[in-house]
Parts: sequence; C-alpha cells; structure tokens
Amino acid sequence: MNRALRVVARRCIAAVPTFLLVALAAFALLEAAPGDAADAYLAQTGGDLGFAAELRARLGLAATWPERLLGFFGSLLGLNLGQSVIFNRPVLAVLGERLPNTLLLMSATILVATGLGVTLGILAGARPGGVRDRVLSTAALTLLAMPNFWLSLLLILGFVVKLGWFPIGGIRTIGAQLPGLAAGFDVLHHLVLPAIALGAGYIAIYQRTLRAGMIEAWRGDHVRAAHARGVPRRAVIWRAVARPALLPVVVLFGQQMGALVGGSVVVETVFSIPGMGRLAYEAVVGRDALLLVGVLLTATCVVLLANLIVDLLLVRLDPRIGAADA
Amino acid sequence: MLGATLTTQEGALGAALLLIAAALALAAPVLWTGDPLAMIGRPLLSPFADASLPLGTDRLGRDIAAGIVHGARESLFTAVTVAVVALLVGSSLGTIAGYLGGLADECIMRIADAVQTVPSFLLALAIVSAAGPSASGVIAALAASAWTAPARIVRAEVLSLRQLAFVDASRLYGRHSLAIAFTVVLPNALAPVIALAAIIVAGAILSESALAFLGLADPNRASWGAMIAEGRSVLRTAPHVILAPGLALLSTVLAVSLLGEGVAKAVARRA
Amino acid sequence: MNRIRLPRRALLLSTAGAAAATQFPQRARAQVPRRGGTLVVAADTEPRNLNPAIVASNGVFYVASKVIEPLAEMSASGDGLAPRLATAWQGSPDGRSATFTLRDGVTWHDGKPFTSADLAFSALEVWRKLQNLGRLVFKDLEAVETPDSRTAILRFAKPTPFQLIKNALPSLTAVLPRHVFEGTDINANPANQKLIGTGPFRFVEHRPGEYYRLERNPNYWEAGRPYLDAIIYRVLPDRSAVAAALEADQIQLCAFSAVPLTDLARLAAVPGVVVVPGGYDGITYQLTVEINHRRKELADVRVRRAIAHAIDRDFVVKTLFLGYAKASTGPIPKFDTQFYTADVAATPFDVARANALLDEAGYARGSNGVRFQLRLLPAPWFEQTRQMGDYLRQALRAIGIDAQIVANDPAAHTRAVYTDHNFDLAIGSPVYRNDPAISTTILYQSGLPTGVPFSNQYGYASAAMDEVIGKAAISVDATERSQLYRGFQRRAAEELPLLNVVEFTFITVARSKVQNVANNPRWATSHWADAWLSG
Repeated sequence: MNRALRVVARRCIAAVPTFLLVALAAFALLEAAPGDAADAYLAQTGGDLGFAAELRARLGLAATWPERLLGFFGSLLGLNLGQSVIFNRPVLAVLGERLPNTLLLMSATILVATGLGVTLGILAGARPGGVRDRVLSTAALTLLAMPNFWLSLLLILGFVVKLGWFPIGGIRTIGAQLPGLAAGFDVLHHLVLPAIALGAGYIAIYQRTLRAGMIEAWRGDHVRAAHARGVPRRAVIWRAVARPALLPVVVLFGQQMGALVGGSVVVETVFSIPGMGRLAYEAVVGRDALLLVGVLLTATCVVLLANLIVDLLLVRLDPRIGAADA
Repeated sequence: MLGATLTTQEGALGAALLLIAAALALAAPVLWTGDPLAMIGRPLLSPFADASLPLGTDRLGRDIAAGIVHGARESLFTAVTVAVVALLVGSSLGTIAGYLGGLADECIMRIADAVQTVPSFLLALAIVSAAGPSASGVIAALAASAWTAPARIVRAEVLSLRQLAFVDASRLYGRHSLAIAFTVVLPNALAPVIALAAIIVAGAILSESALAFLGLADPNRASWGAMIAEGRSVLRTAPHVILAPGLALLSTVLAVSLLGEGVAKAVARRA
Repeated sequence: MNRIRLPRRALLLSTAGAAAATQFPQRARAQVPRRGGTLVVAADTEPRNLNPAIVASNGVFYVASKVIEPLAEMSASGDGLAPRLATAWQGSPDGRSATFTLRDGVTWHDGKPFTSADLAFSALEVWRKLQNLGRLVFKDLEAVETPDSRTAILRFAKPTPFQLIKNALPSLTAVLPRHVFEGTDINANPANQKLIGTGPFRFVEHRPGEYYRLERNPNYWEAGRPYLDAIIYRVLPDRSAVAAALEADQIQLCAFSAVPLTDLARLAAVPGVVVVPGGYDGITYQLTVEINHRRKELADVRVRRAIAHAIDRDFVVKTLFLGYAKASTGPIPKFDTQFYTADVAATPFDVARANALLDEAGYARGSNGVRFQLRLLPAPWFEQTRQMGDYLRQALRAIGIDAQIVANDPAAHTRAVYTDHNFDLAIGSPVYRNDPAISTTILYQSGLPTGVPFSNQYGYASAAMDEVIGKAAISVDATERSQLYRGFQRRAAEELPLLNVVEFTFITVARSKVQNVANNPRWATSHWADAWLSG
C-alpha cells in the first residue's frame, strides 16, 4: 500500500510542471487566435462600440496580455477554476455538467473495445495463420483505417435510418422521466452506436496486440509442458497463452485514454452528446481559455487515474513489476 | 529495404493500393480539369445516372468524382508533409536531447510530456484555430503532436549509441558535439524511425479529414472530410455523397498501413 | 385569427398534393382553443444574458419574450402593431416627445404592480445606456415624465421620428421591473437569467445543457390566456437530432429552420407534422456581399457592379435556399411596405456585361485569364453564408476574378471584417428590424469608429448617402421620412457599396396539434399567449 501511495504521489508531483506548461500553451494559443471572446459573443448579438467596450471590460479582455496572464493563472488557482466567459458560470460547474456524459461514453467505449477486442484477439490467436486469423486481421486493419466520423455516419445510416433500432443521438430520451433502472437502460441504448464508433479503432488495436502476445506465448515452454500434460486445448489457450498476453493490452489501455478524450470530439458532434470533447471545441471557438484549460485538466486527471489503475493492475498481474520501486 | 518490403504480402498490397492512389492524384488535373469545387451539375444526382458524372453530385451540384481525385492530392500531400516535418523536428530534438543530456534533455522531454498529455486532436484544433484553416496551419497543427514519438525513439537510440567506439573516435578528432550528433549518431538511429513514418502518415490522413469534417480545412481545396460533412445533411436522401469519400479515405489509410506493416516485417526479418 | 399562408412551392415540395392538403393544421374557425398542455420546443442556444431589454437578439427573444413583454408587438393586421404593455401611443409633431398610455391591471410575476415608473427606468437606464441596439435609437432620450402610473412621456433632446419609435416597439422596448434592477449593477443582476416580467409565462428553471422551463402566469393581464400550461425549451444544438425528435413527437415545434432545409420535403410528408412557412417577415435576414473599398479595384463602382452582374440570384434562391428565399433589390426587404420601393437600378445576372465592365474599368485578363485576386471571407454562422462563399468564388472566376476563401470561426471573422478590415469581400447576413434606422443605415453611413460589428467598416464614404441618412434620421413627418428612405434605396442601388443578394426568413416545423402558429410577423420571438394544443 505504501508503495502504491508513493507511486501515486510521485506521479502527481511530476504532473504539475507538465500541467502548467499545458495551461500556458492553451492561453498562448487562444491569445494568438484572431478575435477574442467578446468578438465571439458579438457575432450573435451585434451592438455598438459602447456595448462592445462594456462587454470587454466586464470579461477582463481590455487589459494588457501580461495582466490577463496573471489573472488567468490567478483564476486557475482559485477553487472553481474561474468563470467561463461563454457560459457565464464557474468553469467547475460547466465541467461537472459534462463530465458524467463523457465518463459514461468512455466506459461504454472501453467495455465494447476491450470486450470485443480481446475476444476477437483470442479467436485469431488460437490458431495463428489460419483462415479465421487472416479474416479477423484484415477486418482489424480495415477498422483501424476507418475515420471514426464516417463510421458514425454509416452506423446512423444503417441502424437508425434504415433499421430504426437505435436513437439518432443524445444521451437520453427527451422528456421521458424514466425510473432508475429504465433510465439506465435508456442511456445505454443511446450509447451503443457512439461507443462502437469511438471504440472501433481500439477494438482493432487490442485485437492485434492480444494476437501478437498470444503468438509470442505459443512459443513458450509452458505451453509445450501443458500439451505434454494432456491439458485440453481450450484450457491451454486460456491459461497459458491468452492470460499472459493480456498484460500488454492492459498497458496499452492506460496509454489510450488520452486519445479517447480527444477522439470523442467528432463522435460527440455527430451523435450530439454533450461531453467534454465537444466542450473543448466550444471553448476554442468561443476563445474561453479558462474553460479549455479546465477540460484539459480534467482529461489529464482522467488519464492519470487510468494509468494509476493500470499500474496497480499490472502489479497484481505480474509480481515482477513494481518490485524495482521498493 | 524496398525489395524486402515488397516480398511481404502486406507490403505488396499496400504499395499497389498506394500506387493507384498516387496515380489518380497525379492524373487529377489532367483528367478532371477545372475546379473540383465548381457547382456544375444538377444537385444530388445519383451515381452512374450521367456518364460525365460517374459518382454523382452533392447537395450543391459538385462533381463527386472530381472531388475524390483532387482530394487524393490534398490528403497525400498534407500527410506526407506532416510526416516529413514531424520526423525532421522529432529526430533533431531527440538527437539534441539524447546527445547533450542535462538541461537540454530535461527541457525537451518536459515539453514532449506536456504535448503528449494533451489529447492530440484537441491540440490540433487549438493550433488550427490560432493559425487559421490553411494548408500550412493544418500541417503545423498535425505535426505538433506527431513529433514526440520520433523524438523519443531517436533519443533512446542516441543514448545507447553514445557510448560506442566510433563516437569516441570522432570526439578524439576534435569535432564539435552537435556535429557528431547529427552526422555520426543520427543516421544510425534512423531505422526504427522510418517504420514510424507510415503510422504518422496514416494518422495524419485521418486527423486531417476529421479537421476538415469540423470545417477546419482549406476551403479552396477539395477535401474528403469536407465532402463527408456536406453529405451529412442529406444522409437520408442521398447516402452516396458520403460513401465515395469515405471509401477513398479508408483505402488510402489501409494502403499506407499495409505498406508500413510490410516495412516493419522486412526490418524484423533482417534483424 | 390566423391565416393559412402556404405558398405553392411548399405544395410542390411535398410528395403528394393530396397528402399535403391533409397537412394543414386544423384551423376551422369554429374550433375553440383548448386550455392546457405542455409545449415542448427545440432551442439551439443558451444565451449568456437572457434579458431582452439588454440584448435584443433573436436567440434571446425566442425564450425571453414569453416572460418579459414589449410595449407593442407586430401584428399581421391593422397598422401592424398590437398593444401589449402600452395601449395607446402618440408622437408630438415636433418629434421631441412621445406619449404612451399603459395598460391597467398588469402585475409583475413577483406580485408588484406594473407602473409607468418601470417604463421610465427601463428607457433611461437600460434601453438608452445598455441595450445593444437601443443605444442608437434612444440616444437622444433625455427624460421620461410619469404624470401618473398609466402615462409615460418620453422627452428627446433632438427631434426623433415617431415612425422610428413605433417600428422599434416590438424589438427594442422590453420593460424591466424597476424594483428588481434599480440600484444594482444591471448587467450582473441575477434577474438577467432568472427573468421576472409581466408576460403570459413565468420563468421557472434553466438546467444548463438540457432545457428551459416556463409555466403559465395565472395573473396574466389578458383574461383566459395563456392557453398552454407550460413551455419547455429542449436544448438541441444538432439539427438532425431535432428532425428525429419532431418525428418521434418528443418535441412539438422547432423554429428558425432548426430542421435542415433538405429535410423539409421529407418531413412535410410525415403524418402529424406540418411545415409552416411565414411568421418571420418581421425578422427578415439579408444575404449580402460586403465590400472593402480600401482595395483600389473595389473602390471603382464599375467593378462592384460587375460583381453584382456575375451573381445569379435565381441559382442562390433555388440551390442554396431550396426556394425559401427571395431575390433582393436593395437594403430594405419587399415585405416592409412602409419603405420598400422596387424603382431602383437593377443588376440582373449578365456575365457578358460584367466582363465588359471590368474591361472598361481597366482590369484586363492576364495570360491565365485572371484579372486580379481577392480574399473572400464568408460568415461562418449560417450554412447558406458559407455556401454563398463557395458559389461566389465560382461566379467570380467566370468574370476573371480569383477569389480565395478564408474560413474563420465567428470570433475571427468578426474581428477580421469589423475591426482589422482584413478582407476584400465578405458574405454577411444582417437582420432588418422593421426600420432602416435601427440596423440598416449603419451599414451605409460613414464616420463610424472601428470595431462596431455589422456596420460600415468597409471604408465607404459618400457625402450624398450620409446626407440622405442624416435627413431621414431626424425627419419627423412619416410620409417625408418614407420618401427619404426610398431615395436611400435608389442611392444604394446606384453606388452599390455592398451587394444585396437575397432576403430570407425561416421555417417553422410543428406537429399538427399545435395551433396559432406563425400568426404574426415575429411569431417565434413573440409572446405565444394564444398558442394552444388541440387534442
């Protein structure tokens, strides 16, 4: 436990300078972008110079950039991460509204990706080089090559427009006040297609990684030993070949989390899910630096958390890992 | 190495597909003259309904076939440029970091950490918004996250090569550190980085099309992602509008990936 | 009493004429409005400031005008105005004052009585000082007298045309409760989000990202109204989701063309769904080509006229707007009979003429067929403005101008065009607000400071134009003023500082059980007190 805590603490401390750099970069990028938050707002409302000046003064945009940089970091260190200029609410509140949707989507995606990826990987790796393997490997490569927004549209075309099995978007049925379990199923129903679209690439990656690991494991001594002992093939595949091959998949899983948050921008757009990816896009368009940094901070924390879980899992799966830390 | 790549199944298939794509891209201005973005036909014409418009038209009457082949030029050009830039920048920074060590190494690796912490697509979004959706803006945005992987690989290689004899020999001759780094060490560190190139190109094609889908591509050029975005509003009534550019994207990325696989296999066989 | 206005093109668009006939909502005169029911509608934005007295914009009105009322609303009949909080209005002959008689028996949602003091406060402290558009219209307001609680007299330092004040009543005169706002920082007051008004509906709650909820005001001044129990605005920024929700009866109405134009034909054929054109004339938008006169080539009127001749308005109406637009002849839309005149110089689609004009202006084609290059910035906020950019690029190529499109997001576009002047041509979409002086002449008058959005930032200055605008701004005689604005249109057509391509409004799509839809020219942004749901 102590060791785990030390790992956690070290990770968190190491993340701080990284995060400050990220915040600085976000501020600089949005400063460099032409137009400011007031311009974004005025595009909707119009108004004369006095109206625009009043707005800029209120949003703190009239100050010089060093003043604004200081104000920016000051707000960041405040409890609620400052005020979002687009939503006129504390950044933390806006993040709180959107984070659950993203977590739901990400969990669904991970379930789909890992479940299907591992299964297909085992199916392929059970008999490497066989027909099933070649078909699955080609399918995996094709999935990897598909742009996820195109896949989303195809899924909508097939399963929503033609078959009508799933809703076209959103995260829950509008206006329906469903009781607990039914509400949960409603959300799951809405998340199936987005999860597949978002997870398609990862299905392929996990499938290939698992298969590669299994091919590696097939060559190992303990497999021959198991054969010699007369263990049935199924059991050999699972115990001696597949399980050790899961290790790299787990490692990969931790690394993919960041890409998951980023890749969700497009899928969230197509399926109109109010999540963090879309929020980051809105923050950039609205020149809301504090909100953007808030999203990045949350994404970083999620990645950190995921990597921590992965590390702990690895420690359990393979006792050799982590011993060096002690 | 090219020969070795082509003997693998993946390499052969990938190279073949890529050759077709490149041929179409090169032939585009000759066979499909004029502006691919011109609204010349009846809107939402189905494929094969008109001989001169084999893939039909989109919502505004643009020739989809012209869009596909001209889009191939844009996609391939952008993606290859991104890979070249990312490899150049990444290799240089990795060499400097690995060879010099100390503060330079620390700084460069910290920046690489920061870049890798931010989801790469969000970084690209922010950069394109700052730089404007022009060809150079998109290339800069995509290269900004792609350089870290080559940098790390090269740095690792450099760190291991640093100790070797021929480096000491160069130092004895009195050559400057960085000169040694770039002329002696780097060329030996390049092999694993080349395999990375295919991955970067494939990723760049996909990311660029995603940016185009969100409206952040150069509007003066044909773009597969933008074509799919246009087709989204007529998904129910005219699905052919999104099918063609999507298939084009799929085949091109597949081709690059296969080629990459072939290279990796050839390298592995040699080792 | 609403009239069915279904133009023939809508009939042609539906798949079967017979089916279309049954799509008409039940508007038999004998039907009695039914009380009760909740109307669920689609909303696509959640404005930062929901107070229509400060931010007079359609996104705000869509929700807020059911809660906070103006002095009068637009009407399809009579003289075009229907009394709301004001029952009578009169302007003095010298234009120095305007007298309003206010309605009796009106209370705020928090129970306090509505009096002329509220009007005085709103006019002096909000419309004149803070409102985005009111700052111009009410700039000469110096005092408001309130001899009794039912009368308010607006006093102006300079003659202000009463015709302008009347035209501004529906959109610029939302009245705020003095007892809530007085003495506070008005822009930061929480009542800018939790609205308190006199309207038929009370503001109940806003769940960010999900919905706004309004409920019936039981003490509304119009007996028996509103018919609806509640209105829920579902936040649905994605347009295909809106269409699907409407088909599934999860929402009953969507306004402002929330459904893509390409889906309208299909939706019209769905049983229970009606496409209702009309009801938006009072918020007509215009598609314009904004021109930067600082470019030497564009400063020449022949070049501008050539560009105008190169645009096929018919193509724009048919292909970009799918028929839901009208070709425009000038800065004032055909709908506004007070001011509109068709007697202006026309620029019909004529590529040969355009080429001739450019040759005459001295810009010969180079060896590659190009005369000169331009940067074209289409406004990103409407699909049609972006597509107009694509079309204009093509149209200009036909006359030898190479236009490079620069795609910006809204903030960058606003900055580039209206502050940095970093453009040659731009596609804009100004709103016409029923009087040229509100937001239209500002596109033509010179001497404006840099940075005012949607104004003449084009480097265009014409003494003749300024004179017409200046005279009309202080002309207190309505007939003379209308005449002056006809002159304004003629001058605009002669000098072509910017090009008016088409004027367009929006479409409402609703379930057929929603009644009294689109029954006034600003329906979507008006009060909905008479909307009801049939069985």
